Amino acid sequence: MSAVALELDGLAVDFSGFRAVDGVSMAVAHGELRVLLGANGAGKTTLMDLISGKTKSTEGRVYVHGRDVTNQREHKIARAGVGRKFQIPSVFSGLTVRQNLEVAQSGQPGVFANLKMRLDTEAQERLDETLDLIGLTEEAETEAGVLSHGQTQWLELGMLMIQNASVILLDEPTAGMTAGETAKTAEIINRLKGKHTLLVVEHDMAFVRDIAERITVLHLGKVLAEGNVAFIENHPDVKAAYLGKQGIS
Amino acid sequence: MKTLFSSYRVWAYLAFAIVILALPLIGDEFWLNRVAKYLCYGMLGAAVALTWGYAGILNLGQGLFFGIGAYAMAMSLKLKSYTSMQQGSETPVPDFMLWNAEPGAPTDLCCITPGSWLWIPFQSQWVGLIVAVVLPAVFAYIMGRIIFGQRISGVFVSIITLALVLLTRLIVTDAQPLTNGFNGLTDLGWFTVFGVELDPYSKVTYMVVAVALIIVLALTRLLVATRAGTILQATRDSDTRALYLGYDVPAYQSFFFAVSAGISGLAGMLYVIVAEFASPSFLELSFSVTMVVWAAVGGRGSILGACIGAILINMLEARVSETESLVEAWKLIIGFVFVIVVIYLPKGLSGLAHDLMSKLQSAPKLSPVQKEEAHQ
Repeated sequence: MSAVALELDGLAVDFSGFRAVDGVSMAVAHGELRVLLGANGAGKTTLMDLISGKTKSTEGRVYVHGRDVTNQREHKIARAGVGRKFQIPSVFSGLTVRQNLEVAQSGQPGVFANLKMRLDTEAQERLDETLDLIGLTEEAETEAGVLSHGQTQWLELGMLMIQNASVILLDEPTAGMTAGETAKTAEIINRLKGKHTLLVVEHDMAFVRDIAERITVLHLGKVLAEGNVAFIENHPDVKAAYLGKQGIS
Repeated sequence: MKTLFSSYRVWAYLAFAIVILALPLIGDEFWLNRVAKYLCYGMLGAAVALTWGYAGILNLGQGLFFGIGAYAMAMSLKLKSYTSMQQGSETPVPDFMLWNAEPGAPTDLCCITPGSWLWIPFQSQWVGLIVAVVLPAVFAYIMGRIIFGQRISGVFVSIITLALVLLTRLIVTDAQPLTNGFNGLTDLGWFTVFGVELDPYSKVTYMVVAVALIIVLALTRLLVATRAGTILQATRDSDTRALYLGYDVPAYQSFFFAVSAGISGLAGMLYVIVAEFASPSFLELSFSVTMVVWAAVGGRGSILGACIGAILINMLEARVSETESLVEAWKLIIGFVFVIVVIYLPKGLSGLAHDLMSKLQSAPKLSPVQKEEAHQ
C-alpha cells in the first residue's frame, strides 16, 4: 500500500503506576480502514485519547503523515489532519444541521479569517453534497439538538468528512443503533475508506466484518495480534482474551 | 437584499432604531436625559447577551468593564470641570486631590498625591474616550487568555469575574487620593465635539447616545452572524468538539469576551457623559447581577432582546420608584419577574417574540395531513 498516514511508535501512558496503554506500535497506511478490537479496559479509547491529544502520553511518539504531533494541543493535532468522533455523539446542539457542517469546514481556523458572512460557492457545494451523503438534506435547517440518535451520529460523520481530516478516529460509531441505522453507517464508512484513513473502535462483529480490512487486537494496553478478519477470528490468543473460548457467535 | 428584509429580525432592529431616534419629538430634555441613561444600560445588556447567550460565559463582573469605561471618561471630564481650574495652579487639578494632599505637596498633577501622575494623559478628553473602550477590551482579552486557556469554564468563570469586580471596587475605594474613594468623581465638565459642548440635558447628547447604541447593536448583530459568530456558538455547545475541529477555542472566547468588554466600557463612558458622575457603586456586585437579570428577561439569545430588556426594566423601575408604597417592594418585584421568566420564558421576551413570529409565518403552510383534513 501507499504511504503511512498514522504511525504510533511505542506509545504508552502511565496513570500513576497503571499503564492503560503500554507500548503500542502500529502503522496505518493511507486510505486504510483499521479496526481496533479489545475487551473493556484494553486501552482502545485511551489510545484514541493519546493520538488526538486529549490525554498526554508518557512514552512513545505519534506521527501523522510523518509529522510528529506527540502531545501537542488538541486543536493543533486537529489542524495536522486528525478528526475524531466520540463514543457519545457530540454535535453543536444549538446550531442547525447546516451550521454544524459550516463550522466543521475548518480550513481556516483563525478568528479573524472567519469575520465574514458567507462560505464561498465551492464550500457551499461541498456542504450540500455532504448533506446528501449523510441523508440529512431535509433536516438541514433543523436544530441538531432535536435529531434522532442515528441522525446525530451521521451528522457527526458528515462533520468529519467535511472537516477533511486525513486521519479519522471513530469510537464505536454504531453504538445504540438499530440494524437499519447500522447498515447505513457501514455504507457511509465504506465511502470514506480510500480517501480517508480510518481507525475504528467497534464491538459489533457483524459490522466489523462489513467494513474491516485489517484488525488490531489490544489486550491490557498491548497489541495482541494484527491481521485480516479470518486471521483474527481464528487466532488462539485472541479467542482466549476477547472472543471467548467458544469463538464468535 | 430581498432575503435580508424578509426576516422580521431586521425589521425589529429598524423599528427599534426609529423609535429611539424619534423620542426627542415627544419628550422634554429632562426625560430624554433619563432615557439616555437607559440606552447606556441597554448597550450593557447587549454586551452581556454577547458573552452569556452566544458564548455561554456568564460574567458576573461585567460592571468591571462598565466601571473602567466610566472612570476613564470621568477622569477626563473632571479635569475639564471649572472646579479643577480653581486650585491655584496653571494646569487643572481635581479638587479632591487638594483635600487629600500631604501638607506642602505641590499643586500639580505630577505629584500632588501618590499616583496622581496617572491623571496627566487624561487632560485630553480623547485619551479618556480611547482608554474607556480599549482598556476594558485589552484587560478582558488578557483575562480571557488566562481563564479560558486553562480550560476553566462555567460557574468557575462566574466566580473569578465576580471576585475581580469586588477586588477592583476595594482598590478604587481604598485609593482615596487618586479616585476620591467612596464619593466617586462628581462635578464633571462636559465632553466637547467640534466645539459643541455635550450638555447632558440636551437633545444633541441624547442623539449621540442613541446613534452610538444603534451602531453598536448593528455591528454586534453582524458580528454574531459571521462565521466566527457561528463558531463561537459552537464552542458554547461543545468546546471539545470545536477543539477537535482545529479551532483554538480560548482564542474565540477571549476575542468575544474582549468585544463585550469594549462595548461595556463604551456604555460606561457614555453613561458618565449623560449622568455626570462615576462612582464605585458601578463596581458593586448587585449592579453586575442586575445586568444579568436584564439580559435574562430580554432574552440572552438575542442582542436586541437583551438591550430592550434592560431599557424596559429600568423604565419600569423609574415608574415604580415614583409610587412611594412600591419603592421598598421594587427589589422583590424584579426578583419575582426574574423567577417567572426563568421558569416560564427561558429565552426571555425575545424568545417569546420569536415563537410568535414563527407561528405567524408558518401558519399558512399546512402539512399534507392537515391539508387533507381541511379538504374533508
